[in-house]
Amino acid sequence: MSFETAKMVDQEDKMTTTDTSPAESAGTAPEGMRVHNLDIFYGNFLAVRNVSMDIEPRAITALIGPSGCGKSTFLRSLNRMHEEIQGARVEGTVTLDGVDLYGPGVDPVVVRRQIGMVFQRPNPFPTMSIAENVLAGMRLNSKKLSKSKANEIVESSLRGANLWEEVKNRLDQPGSGLSGGQQQRLCIARAIAVQPRVLLMDEPCSALDPISTMAIESLMLELKSSYTIVIVTHNMQQAARVSDRTAFFNIDGTGQPGYVVEMDATEKIFSNPTQQATSDYVTGRFG
Amino acid sequence: MNDLRQGFHRDVEEIRSQIGRLGALIVEMIPRVTDILLDQDLEGAEYVLLGDDEIDARAVDIEERALRLLALQAPVAGDLRQIASALKISSEMERSADLCCNVCKAARRIYGHELDPKLRGIIQKLSTQATREYREALDAYVNLDAVHAAALDDIDSYLDDLHRLFIQQILESHSNGSIDLQVAVQLALVGRFYERLGDHAVNLGQKVRYIVTGWLPEQEALARFRAREEAESARGAAEQE
Repeated sequence: MSFETAKMVDQEDKMTTTDTSPAESAGTAPEGMRVHNLDIFYGNFLAVRNVSMDIEPRAITALIGPSGCGKSTFLRSLNRMHEEIQGARVEGTVTLDGVDLYGPGVDPVVVRRQIGMVFQRPNPFPTMSIAENVLAGMRLNSKKLSKSKANEIVESSLRGANLWEEVKNRLDQPGSGLSGGQQQRLCIARAIAVQPRVLLMDEPCSALDPISTMAIESLMLELKSSYTIVIVTHNMQQAARVSDRTAFFNIDGTGQPGYVVEMDATEKIFSNPTQQATSDYVTGRFG
Repeated sequence: MNDLRQGFHRDVEEIRSQIGRLGALIVEMIPRVTDILLDQDLEGAEYVLLGDDEIDARAVDIEERALRLLALQAPVAGDLRQIASALKISSEMERSADLCCNVCKAARRIYGHELDPKLRGIIQKLSTQATREYREALDAYVNLDAVHAAALDDIDSYLDDLHRLFIQQILESHSNGSIDLQVAVQLALVGRFYERLGDHAVNLGQKVRYIVTGWLPEQEALARFRAREEAESARGAAEQE
């Protein structure tokens, strides 16, 4: 195990042995994520160029922009998920609370445990019960769990995802029997069960009805007191409603790399953006 | 069901309570500036004029909050009417405070001139009636009471009558020599300030009705204008044939 991985695992051990929130248990005030001059490639194709941004801790950062501009690619690079695609690589640095995620010898699995992800379509494991779904991440991370500890984690994670009251009497039934909005909250419960420091959400509401969407949004507003959240959304009203800071991504044409046009406080982006392209996009003149 | 947009609805309520507080300041301000006028209290006038900056700042704060919610929260239905009305109400109230300041400025200009008891009596009545209307309008706003709000137009007609009576009395007092022309002009303006305060209260009432029911006042001028437009275009079509 390399030094950097050892440091992350060390912080993680601290967080699982205390009841305090993740960042506090890491011993220092959270710094959030810092991205510096990040280029993202698929083979020789430069997909996203030169992104530098600070992602503030315990706040919601929204990534908006037209289709194909690299928002999701960028999001996936934040927990090294994009490496699952063959030939994908990055240049530049991404740090979480000062630790370089792409440093030599850092284990991507450890990174993903610290930086959880919620996907566009709710994807609970269909054959597992609700409780098993919540614990799936813990089991994958090969933790030995006592029965009482497991029950505790199931309850606290489901409560954290505002789902406990709805499912507490049917924890042993399959997760696929829940509604779409409930399934998505189950996926959020699964993501927070391993106590990550950051939650990445890739269009978490695009497959949901408005009421379930509102439920997820209000959950996000609650979660941001404990977690750093980054959300990709095509719904600009959603970005405006929930996020503290917004980054606008754009692309100059097909085959060109995506890049960040502007990042600022959400209020500024939606009321008085600096760049004309941002203004055109948020006012619907784009294209 | 739980309120899914608690934060947003808290912000809307915060705007409402800010408006309530601003309105309460104006309800207190009207009798205060009347005392200043009748007692020739120049120091009091100075304080009121200085305090106007705070009221302007509060009105701007309400406007900024409302614009922020419009930009970020895409309000609809009742929430939209609340926030759109907040933008208008804050400027109505800011203007009302300016009218109170104008009474103080008039007090400075007529300083040293005695007013006869009849004039003083009507000024007191104008003030009491304007205060009452404003308080009624503000209560209607705080309680979202459309019925009360709808009564304000009628209540205001008494203030208009008092205003006419006041003008007559000014002319009488001037012709019998108890006040000079400069004072007469200032008093006529003061009467107008109270009458306008009542109008702002009526407007506030209309906004309350709009918030509660979506009702907009029938605009006679608008109806006349549209009828003329239609007649014009009909005539134009006939000439072309």
